[in-house]
Amino acid sequence: MKNTKDKIDEAKRASGADSCVECGRCVAVCPMAEMYANFSIEMSPRGIIKKTLMGDPVVEDKNIWYCTECNAGTDTCPQGVSCRDLIRKLREAAVDENLLENAKTCKCCGRAFVAIPVEDFVFARLKDEPANVFGVLDICPPCRREIYLLRNA
Amino acid sequence: MMKQETTQKPMAEQDFSLNLEDLRPRPKEKKHLSEYFMPRRHSFIIFHPDRCTGCGACEMICSTRNVEKVAPVSASVKVVRDQKEGKNFSILCQHCRKPLCLPACPTRAIEKGDDGIVRIDKLFCTECGLCTMACPAAAPIKDPGSQEIHKCDLCEGDPLCVKHCPENALTFTRGKAVRWIKGLRWTSQLISFLLLVMVFVGTFCYFRTGSVSFACPTGTLQNIASSGTIVLVGVSSALALLILTVLAGRLFCGWVCPFGFVLDVVDKITPRKIGWPSFLKSRMTKYGVLAGAVGGSYALGFQVFCTVCPIGTLCRSYGVQSFFRSAELAIVPVLASLEIAQRRSWCRYFCPVGAVLGLTALLRMIKIVIGAKKCKKFSCIQCAEVCPVGIIDADKLREGLSPKIPMTECIMCMRCVDRCPYSAAKIRFRWQRATPGEGRI
Repeated sequence: MKNTKDKIDEAKRASGADSCVECGRCVAVCPMAEMYANFSIEMSPRGIIKKTLMGDPVVEDKNIWYCTECNAGTDTCPQGVSCRDLIRKLREAAVDENLLENAKTCKCCGRAFVAIPVEDFVFARLKDEPANVFGVLDICPPCRREIYLLRNA
Repeated sequence: MMKQETTQKPMAEQDFSLNLEDLRPRPKEKKHLSEYFMPRRHSFIIFHPDRCTGCGACEMICSTRNVEKVAPVSASVKVVRDQKEGKNFSILCQHCRKPLCLPACPTRAIEKGDDGIVRIDKLFCTECGLCTMACPAAAPIKDPGSQEIHKCDLCEGDPLCVKHCPENALTFTRGKAVRWIKGLRWTSQLISFLLLVMVFVGTFCYFRTGSVSFACPTGTLQNIASSGTIVLVGVSSALALLILTVLAGRLFCGWVCPFGFVLDVVDKITPRKIGWPSFLKSRMTKYGVLAGAVGGSYALGFQVFCTVCPIGTLCRSYGVQSFFRSAELAIVPVLASLEIAQRRSWCRYFCPVGAVLGLTALLRMIKIVIGAKKCKKFSCIQCAEVCPVGIIDADKLREGLSPKIPMTECIMCMRCVDRCPYSAAKIRFRWQRATPGEGRI
């Protein structure tokens, strides 16, 4: 059983976070700036990478759960740091430590498939749509397809 | 202009925030003039579950377009197989009228074009997968290899999957061309309005030529109650409308009623509705009005409701009449103004003529079904929008189930049958099943 420090080290190695030059390009393209009103340096990929490299307690941090795991930061990084991979590994470490309060689990299969802040954002965006739509957000996409099949075929 | 403002404010109060709305404003919806008369028919792919064998040819050919190699995981169509019951279904983008993925996208990469095709702009897409989260069928599919989002764009009007399906389970159509029921209904309403109101004065309430007589059933009920005697001729003449109702539902309300025609015309003038207070939203009110009318006639000795009946007033009051007769006509604009609140609100909640016909429609022989198998569910829901009495349950349709349509409330205007592009809304006999293999609705 690896401990959390080893997992963070592995996350650093897998994503290449060590080579981050703090240019801030990932912050410039991050769609979270559009999504959340309280977007700050702690929430940004640059802040999370810095925190990981400094050895601060990052796994317990709520800020790693705001990411939508998009590819924008990875695409634009001059050093090839994959902030998506880093955040995925950090979230895996957090789930292993039973820090599940920010992960949404599927109603059907029980898999953790989306972070609660991201889901809240989708809820807020679909606010004007009829309330019935919100029922499908509790189910992960593969299960949703299965249910759609059972209803329609 | 901006420069002046910023120079006046101190540095701390300046608002430098630029959001996506400033950088890339969303194009405003334009409605072409011709769309008011004939709505555009956008193309779409229909899937027939009974023909699908689950071979996956659509996935393979689709992936050659997306990633230029045969890799079914990166296709934008997904064949889902139910191993227990041996059912197959292909999930593909329905190109919804109001797409849910569109507001959910944080970078506004998704846009719905004028041709009805919902596209993902690859330049702005960050592959976050929130469109998959928002879609009720999870139709935008994330490629597990390259992590790109693939979504059907109908191959810009020439879909490969349709061409390569060996069983023709996918068909590419543009929907029904002519909506002929609409013209037929308006013509019928106009002719009956002219006939009942202007040619035969007072015809709807009672008229008689030779041995043929016709009477309003509600008026007959009040007549019996007020006079205490049953005139067989009156009852038998009232039966004509009831027999029509048994045969064809409340066809009178949607196709013949002159006041219904007035309401439909007023509805065309006032497209925006202000809503109706919820404590008045009881469809049972009209049965109460009917009971009150009959009871009042019994107590007072004359036909109470007929003095204020909008249909009767319209029929009686054409031409040069006495002052009292013309003053009676004031009830028509008053009740027609209820149309501002909801479509056909008089027919929905109050009309006692409709109440009698509704009670008769319990013995109906036909029904309207909306078969959930052919229906495109959340992506369309046009039937619930066009229904003038609002009896089609849009939430049931969004869930993907067939809504039960109460035929006592349905006015048989057949707008839903007319509008449905997938011919899922149909008229069926009461004892028929909706489609072969589908449960009774």
